[in-house]
Amino acid sequence: MELPARSNEIALEYFQFHDEIRRLMAPPTENASSFTALLELPHSSAVELLHLPEPFKYSAVASSGSLKPYFQHLGAGGMCFSANSAPVERASTFAVETDASSHKVKDEPQAETTESDSNPIISLSQPLLSDFDKEDKGQMPGKRKDREKKAKGSAKKSKNQSSGDAEELPYVHVRARRGEATDRHSLAERARREKINARMKLLRELVPGCNKISGTALVLDEIINHVQTLQRQVELLSMRLAAETPRMDVNLDSIFTTESASLVDQSFSNMVYPLPCSDPQPNIPRQYQQYPWHLNPLQHPMWVREELKNNPITSKNSHMSDDSPANPAAMHSRAMEKDRAMKIE
Amino acid sequence: MKTRKIGADAQSSDISRTEVRWRSESSQRIYSVKLVEALQRAIQNSTPALSISAGSRAVRDVADRVLAMTAKGRTRWSRAILASRRRLSILRRHRKVKKSRASRINRRSKPLSAAAEDRTRRLPAVEKRIKVLSQLVPGCKGAPVTDLLEEAGDYIAALEMQIRSMITLTEIISGSNGERTG
Repeated sequence: MELPARSNEIALEYFQFHDEIRRLMAPPTENASSFTALLELPHSSAVELLHLPEPFKYSAVASSGSLKPYFQHLGAGGMCFSANSAPVERASTFAVETDASSHKVKDEPQAETTESDSNPIISLSQPLLSDFDKEDKGQMPGKRKDREKKAKGSAKKSKNQSSGDAEELPYVHVRARRGEATDRHSLAERARREKINARMKLLRELVPGCNKISGTALVLDEIINHVQTLQRQVELLSMRLAAETPRMDVNLDSIFTTESASLVDQSFSNMVYPLPCSDPQPNIPRQYQQYPWHLNPLQHPMWVREELKNNPITSKNSHMSDDSPANPAAMHSRAMEKDRAMKIE
Repeated sequence: MKTRKIGADAQSSDISRTEVRWRSESSQRIYSVKLVEALQRAIQNSTPALSISAGSRAVRDVADRVLAMTAKGRTRWSRAILASRRRLSILRRHRKVKKSRASRINRRSKPLSAAAEDRTRRLPAVEKRIKVLSQLVPGCKGAPVTDLLEEAGDYIAALEMQIRSMITLTEIISGSNGERTG
């Protein structure tokens, strides 16, 4: 394997590996002199390089950094520190697809001589990398800034600053990838890109149905759709509440007393009943099936007790018990009487 | 801003923080109670708006404000909701126009470093959607993408909680109203 003019980048990569290995044993040395120390471990790092995952090969061609997916993989893998490599794989595939799609769009000529060199090297077995990852990330409190940069001295880094401030770290730790430019701008952008990918992951888990979709734009579409749906639901519900509210004053006390019980029952009724009034959005209950309420019906929250104590009027509640069982209000009252009974004792 | 380290724990703690904040029963109860109180106050203060749209808009504003208060102002959108009274909305409109122009210009003249700029982000498709999302989430008009995504996650969770409690409230009130009249 020849090391043309990119020797410093490759050395940097070795440097990174070496550092991680060292950190496993002892606190790292924080200066550029570790470069020379790296030369002691060309084999282990070459082994690591040999073990990049298969799909990363394509991204290696696509992106300017041959280990850009590796890097994202590392970052993502570190962030989802789980026992299995599934989230890591997910992140890696996401990163890969991102890169692959980006590559197809832009035809920037990447005159990177190390690409051809690194490609044959890059054929990784995933578990190995992820194990290495987890070990490493377990030691690292956060992402590390490129040591080389620190050695070069702190320079102006507006982008870095902005990303650093967003993270509230003194500096953002970024790992340089092999064959990629190590100037401050690209590193900061890489860190920023990692953060964005991390948040996208969170959003995907939040928004239902995004896990199958691949690609940033489509996922964003889903997110936008979801937000719009939720906002529309809020408007509809506010319309319904506005229709009910004029008669609300009279029922002040009963509202507070029944609210506790209905909260309890809501967990059941939301899954089972459609809403008693005409519900123009039939998917409201369905959505919340995904979010199981951890309500314990036997648990009586403090605020409920206080409300009930403050409320001298309990005769109304007893009237409600006469209703038909199909009426959710009856369920409320029955549960409420249960509450009261238990509280009295 | 919450301190955050990118590490193994950070992402799970982000999710759990969002979960805890907006999915927990206690927060929903807090929100429901405050909502009821605020609604009662609004009804007492204002003469009943006979038009459906005005009434529903009022309810929606109240609900959003209470939601923002429950957020305790740690997020951008909550602060934007709380800050947006009628007086300020006019000012905001002016500011929005200027800001959007400036931000657009800035983005184009940003120095492109050859190596690491992620091309997916510069895709017009993604950019468009980011813009749309920033318009949807209150208070995120000119925000950086990272902040926007974070706010969007919190906002979604908060909206879901809001919807849950409003459904509950509607059921209660309609139930008690039906009881009273029936």
